[in-house]
Amino acid sequence: MRSWSNMIERQPIATKMLQQMLVRKRVSHAYLIQGDKGTGKEAIGYLLAKSLFCKQIDNSEPCNQCHDCQRIESGNHPDVHWIRPDGASIKKDQIAHLQKEFTYTGMESNQKVYLISHADLMTTNAANRLLKFLEEPSRKTTAILMTENNQAILDTIKSRCQILTLKPLSPKSVQQILENNAVSRENARLFSVVMPNLEQAMKLDQDEWFAQARSLMVQLISILQSNLDETLFFIQKQWMTHFSDRDKLNLSLDLLTYWFKDLIYLQLDQQESLVYQSYLTELEQATWHWSRQDIVEILVLILEAKKQLTQNVHPTLVMEKLVLQMQR
Amino acid sequence: MKFTIQKDLLLESIQHVMKAISSRVTIPILTGIKIEATNEGIKLTGSDSDISIESFIPTEENGIIHVENIQPGSIVVQSKYFPDIIRKLPLKTVEINTTDEFKVNIISGGSEFHLNGQDPNEYPQLPTLYTENSFTLTNTVLKELIKQTVYAVSTVETRPILTGVNMTLKEERLNFVATDSHRLASRHLPINLADNQLNFNSVVIPGKSLVELNKIIDENDETTSISVTENQILFQTKNLYFLSRLLDGNYPETSRLIPDQSKTTILTKTKELLNAIDRASLLARENKNNVVKLETKSDNRLEISGHTPEVGQVIEEVNSESVEGEDLKISFSAKYMLDALKIIESDNVKIEFTGAMRPFIIKPENDEDILQLILPVRTF
Repeated sequence: MRSWSNMIERQPIATKMLQQMLVRKRVSHAYLIQGDKGTGKEAIGYLLAKSLFCKQIDNSEPCNQCHDCQRIESGNHPDVHWIRPDGASIKKDQIAHLQKEFTYTGMESNQKVYLISHADLMTTNAANRLLKFLEEPSRKTTAILMTENNQAILDTIKSRCQILTLKPLSPKSVQQILENNAVSRENARLFSVVMPNLEQAMKLDQDEWFAQARSLMVQLISILQSNLDETLFFIQKQWMTHFSDRDKLNLSLDLLTYWFKDLIYLQLDQQESLVYQSYLTELEQATWHWSRQDIVEILVLILEAKKQLTQNVHPTLVMEKLVLQMQR
Repeated sequence: MKFTIQKDLLLESIQHVMKAISSRVTIPILTGIKIEATNEGIKLTGSDSDISIESFIPTEENGIIHVENIQPGSIVVQSKYFPDIIRKLPLKTVEINTTDEFKVNIISGGSEFHLNGQDPNEYPQLPTLYTENSFTLTNTVLKELIKQTVYAVSTVETRPILTGVNMTLKEERLNFVATDSHRLASRHLPINLADNQLNFNSVVIPGKSLVELNKIIDENDETTSISVTENQILFQTKNLYFLSRLLDGNYPETSRLIPDQSKTTILTKTKELLNAIDRASLLARENKNNVVKLETKSDNRLEISGHTPEVGQVIEEVNSESVEGEDLKISFSAKYMLDALKIIESDNVKIEFTGAMRPFIIKPENDEDILQLILPVRTF
């Protein structure tokens, strides 16, 4: 994503808006870019910063060759400040640093750009500090805020930014791109639903961990159907050691969700929609074990488990409860 | 890039530029030192983005050759290891050369270091400053200017512009003003601008940068030339360039704050007054803002008292040279008063009051260039 012309395929509306703004030199003082994971928020941030600094700009397209462009890319530009969460949130000190930075003149030019990733993770203190200079922008300063969760942004901040909403990626197009990048059809299909982020999906494709995760999931399903006494043991011994943190466990629940969703597709005779194409025999076997009623109930239980994970319930307990309920 | 250089000279330059390098920078490249070799000499640069220091080692000086075998080029080396490596090298000369992919080789006698460097193009480009826009001051005067004003800058960030010293140029006079809105220090300096055209009339230099500059320049009669660009100011001594970013914004108008007439004028020995207030403040220290009270008595006597109910009280009597005008009772912060008196070098100090609730002025006797203003504290 090194030029607007690449970006326009993924985000036609937002790209068009920004390009027009650059061409007409009507750049606003603050933008809030909102969109799901993998929709290209940071790529747009980089492009916008480059377009603002690049001196050889060609009709809104940055050159990617000059010092300015290259240093923005490597994070070494002295007048571009990129704030990312420090741990779980963006702290007051990080904003204070920014605030200090903006009382000074620029290092090379008088133009300054600051970008804040995951702006929803700002602490209340930090957000209020930020407001102060969002309200009184100094000359030639551009703020770019990025978030996946626009509900968590203070209204007072939102009202001072021009909001750009990015289009979510459609699983079909992601699958297509992945297949073009030599990811097997089966995997591409799975990634396109669980991980609609191209870079991450590509990484996952190479990952031994993920291949094992999938086979564990299939094992759990077969144990649930035949060997009920072993389920808790299996969860303790294998499942929890493999899915060792909350994010991983969340992914495992996603994998389970799509398995049961597949069962419904199978019962509806929509084989082409299946995610786990290669496990067709296992899937068919499972349809004998669970009725449609059961499957719907199980899906509800999985969603409930996902919710509990975000609410800090102990992960092992969540999984144990889930498998016990699934057995009923 | 390739050159051979005297180790001691290189080390001295490194120590200069290291003063600008901080480990807490957000831009990764600024943890490095930039080395630039040209046929004229070697230039080192260090920066923490607020201040940047450049140190230049000429190829040849007074017929003594410092640098040899120069192949021009540049590189950024890590400041964490480079100084220690150079310090501990065995010989008096050191050869430094770079290979492709930004590798630096440091060779001296039998020891050979290969360091990973960084791309010099990533380093911030410092503004090129034109000498025709500059004026010169001797180091002694510059240090004096800094000392007499910088103590009064604000240390809180609520009004960022007040953390700097305002430098203005008006009618052939250079003015330095600093205030934290409770006190003000100003210094004027007549300046001969000959015929060069200066392109600024008011800039605000961060107080921190000036404190740093004061440490770097030696007290001698050599001159420093000062030039200002749109966003940076450059102080240039013989082989050392000190650049600082400026503070953005308009400095408040301060000339109106200074009262032009006085109701009570006191002339007294600086040292005596300073010591008396210092003692009086001992007991006032408990008190939040360190307030002492000054009262004029008959026969040119002054009474200074400090008082904290839980601790006790102190009364100091000072015989002043003269007290003219109305009788006066005034309270003020001992700390501000001490700061102000400390920088006055003349034997006698003149203090002009315009009532107990109005700011008062402190000046050395017979010197109109230094002026300090303090706001009194309201007490009941």
